[in-house]
Amino acid sequence: MEKPSSRRPDEVESVFSRALSVIHSALVSYYRLTDEEARGAEEDLFIWFQRLARRGGAGQMPVKLLRISLLSAACQYGRSFQLWKLGGEQSPDSKLNDILAREPDDVATDLDRRFEEERS
Amino acid sequence: MTGTVLTFPYRPLSTDAGIKAAERVLATPFDQRLSKARNLHLEDPETLLALCGILRDRVTSSPSAIRDEAEFLYRFIESPKRPIGLFDEREYFLGETALIAGAACRYLSEREESWLWFERAEAGFRHTMNAVGELSRLAYQRLAERLEERQIDVVLELVPSLIESFQKMGMPEDVLKCRFLAGLALFERDDPAGAVRVFNEICHEAEELGSERLLAEAYVNLIHAHGMLGEAGPAIEASRRAIPLLQRLDNRISLGKVHWGLATLLREEGQLAAAVGSYRKAQEDFEALGMRADIAALNLVVADLLLEQGQDREALHEISEALPVIAELKMAPEGMAALSLVRESVRRQEVNRQALRELHGYFQEMQA
Repeated sequence: MEKPSSRRPDEVESVFSRALSVIHSALVSYYRLTDEEARGAEEDLFIWFQRLARRGGAGQMPVKLLRISLLSAACQYGRSFQLWKLGGEQSPDSKLNDILAREPDDVATDLDRRFEEERS
Repeated sequence: MTGTVLTFPYRPLSTDAGIKAAERVLATPFDQRLSKARNLHLEDPETLLALCGILRDRVTSSPSAIRDEAEFLYRFIESPKRPIGLFDEREYFLGETALIAGAACRYLSEREESWLWFERAEAGFRHTMNAVGELSRLAYQRLAERLEERQIDVVLELVPSLIESFQKMGMPEDVLKCRFLAGLALFERDDPAGAVRVFNEICHEAEELGSERLLAEAYVNLIHAHGMLGEAGPAIEASRRAIPLLQRLDNRISLGKVHWGLATLLREEGQLAAAVGSYRKAQEDFEALGMRADIAALNLVVADLLLEQGQDREALHEISEALPVIAELKMAPEGMAALSLVRESVRRQEVNRQALRELHGYFQEMQA
């Protein structure tokens, strides 16, 4: 008999790979990170996500909830990074200011909706 | 506009290296760990993740040692404030180590400590990405503690909502754990036949889920329920199925409860001497695990049996052993009247049997 809480690493990798284009696009288009900065972020997110999937409560979590946690982390990363770059100043880019003013969780929910639409 | 910079100072260990590091940590005495923290990779999230998994798996094998390990890790992460891992990982590990410590205290009937650890777990989990899932696991532990405190109405009121939360999150193993609480409440409501029905369903579902741990614990509760009904065949069959699983899982708490359940059966069958022998085996198991509350509860049960056999002096001795532990651990806040009567009757060297039965009725054998 197998423990139900064990999630296969390839399943985790697959969830990450499928969400990667949405993550990259959010980091670059929404949070205005450079391509290089976004790639660095994605590497860290992948390491973090692999561990998230092995946490006590995440072993049996459905894929959708795992993906939302991932998108939320990506948005938090993008927001924190851009705020640090701005050094406390407003950006001349009003769209960027608007996205920075929003809660990362809200942005992540929108991204997940977009992800679902693209897949349907 | 303000914000904090997320730092990613070094590449963490691989998963396998984390497991090896965790084993090294556990093999290192507490007083040497801080000075060796860097070499032990104690701040590495892979090490901590592996440690949490090991502690969770071993909590039913040695709750006392696991409580100490979880407390060490919590204190290490908490102060001085260490930058553990990425994003929410520090808060997750604070929550998880506190949750494990709280569960271990629950097994040890250290109730006030248990509640304090659950508060700490909540403080950590509130700041994690998957807060709903982690807080729901915490809610289960809190309900299990309430059950042990015999707050049956509260448990029955809150269990359905928790089951719904786990169902929404697609966490079937946790749904099943909540159903344990509902089944155990039936013991408290003096409905062992109802408990048999619920735990048979749980066995079926645990098999479908492939959860040996839940299956074994459901069998343990079936032993007790059939034992209370005096149904020897099904009780023995349940123990036959439970014991190899529990041995494989090294679940020593439940192995002790098997002896307790079989003792209940022997008592129902009128085999009093054999019942006392089986209770003693359970006490030996609990002694090795540091479960003083369960040993004291069994002292009272054995005292009752000894009285039945006319061994009043031996019964008084059993009760005298139990009373200080019951008072120290505040085991029966809702049974204070019965406790006072028993204490008074011991002082007079003449046991008030009704009060004794009422008191040990507060310590029903249960496995949540």
